[in-house]
Amino acid sequence: MLFAGINFPPISDVLNWRSIAFNGSPFALNKVGLITLVAAALTLLLFFAAGRQGKLVPSGVQNFVESIVDFIHNSIVMDVMGQEGLPWAPYLTGLFFFIFICNIFEVIPFIQMPATARMSVPAPLALMVWVTFIVVGIRAQGVRHYFKNAIIPQGVPGALLILLVPLEILSNFIVRPFALAVRLFGNMLAGHLLLLTFAVISEAMFVKSVGLAILPLPFAMLTALTGYEIFVSALQAFIFTILSALYISEAMKSAH
Amino acid sequence: MTTVILAATSAGSSNPILPAAGEIVWSVLSFALLLLLLGKWAYPPVKKMMADRAAKIRGDLDAAELARTEAQRTLEEYKEQLAQAKRDATHILDEARQTADALRGDILAKAEEDVAIVHARNEEALRIERQRVIAELRSEVGSLALELAEKIIDAEVDRAAAQTLIDSFISEIGATRA
Repeated sequence: MLFAGINFPPISDVLNWRSIAFNGSPFALNKVGLITLVAAALTLLLFFAAGRQGKLVPSGVQNFVESIVDFIHNSIVMDVMGQEGLPWAPYLTGLFFFIFICNIFEVIPFIQMPATARMSVPAPLALMVWVTFIVVGIRAQGVRHYFKNAIIPQGVPGALLILLVPLEILSNFIVRPFALAVRLFGNMLAGHLLLLTFAVISEAMFVKSVGLAILPLPFAMLTALTGYEIFVSALQAFIFTILSALYISEAMKSAH
Repeated sequence: MTTVILAATSAGSSNPILPAAGEIVWSVLSFALLLLLLGKWAYPPVKKMMADRAAKIRGDLDAAELARTEAQRTLEEYKEQLAQAKRDATHILDEARQTADALRGDILAKAEEDVAIVHARNEEALRIERQRVIAELRSEVGSLALELAEKIIDAEVDRAAAQTLIDSFISEIGATRA
């Protein structure tokens, strides 16, 4: 729509994408679906390439993959979960790579769409983490103990439990997955719209001869925000992964 | 941005929060496939490679430490051997010096002994020779004196009696000289 002389595209144009295959079926594949497929394929490709190189002194792709694997191993698995979290390292590594690549498409020219800016990506991932930590908790502690530990805080007077138990249920089983999904979705959607806004303004300034004088400002903002969004992409992937690790780790331990 | 969202929603487009069913299917499928393949085939080789490298580096470090300790030990051994060799050399030199001193003493003593023997032998030879010469002289002088006396007195003298006289005379001269 036209706003103060600037032509903003309708939001559906930048979020809802046309199907490119299987149109009309539940498997309708659009840009977001394609990005998730590419994210999965690219992650696997990176790992296969790194594994195939197998150099003693890593370089290129091997170095990149190994750095991230090492980072997740040390900063997420070992720091948050400890030794018993090691079997979860592949799952968390996959989660990080998948989210990061889905996010980074936000700044890739001609694609410029973070798949995570659609609830179709963060929501199932958060749901999966939710199911995972509940299943892990039940397996580690048994149904009764797990739910008892999860919703009844230790050392709290009985009267307070009336207030705290509903809060704990809300916090552990409803807010957690919801916040996990919304945090990622909101950040990436906001970033996407910010970049879009400054791109549209830059374009409008460029087209209008009067605007040429102040063109550097929105364009500089667009450039700076692109850099910032690269950082946000990595940060959000890290936050999602570390919180997932934390929830699973908490569920594994018997004490609340 | 609010304007954008409001504008978009008021334009009657689909909800920006609720995703399309197809998107959910593909994102779930993609991630499930990724987890399956990554966990089974892609992640383990990379992790194994990193673990192998860590083990190799650890092994190399241990080996280097071992080699360093071994080198240090060998160096100590060499130093000890060198010190022992120096001690041995000093000992051998001392022994050689002592032997040489002893030998020199022996040789000198022997030489002095030899000199004394040769000297004594020479003395003896000289003494014998002198006695012989004296005897010869005595005989010759007697004969000459006798002949001279015969010529002077021109008379026949009892040769045997004269000889006895001459011998006693010479003996007296010899005794006086000695």
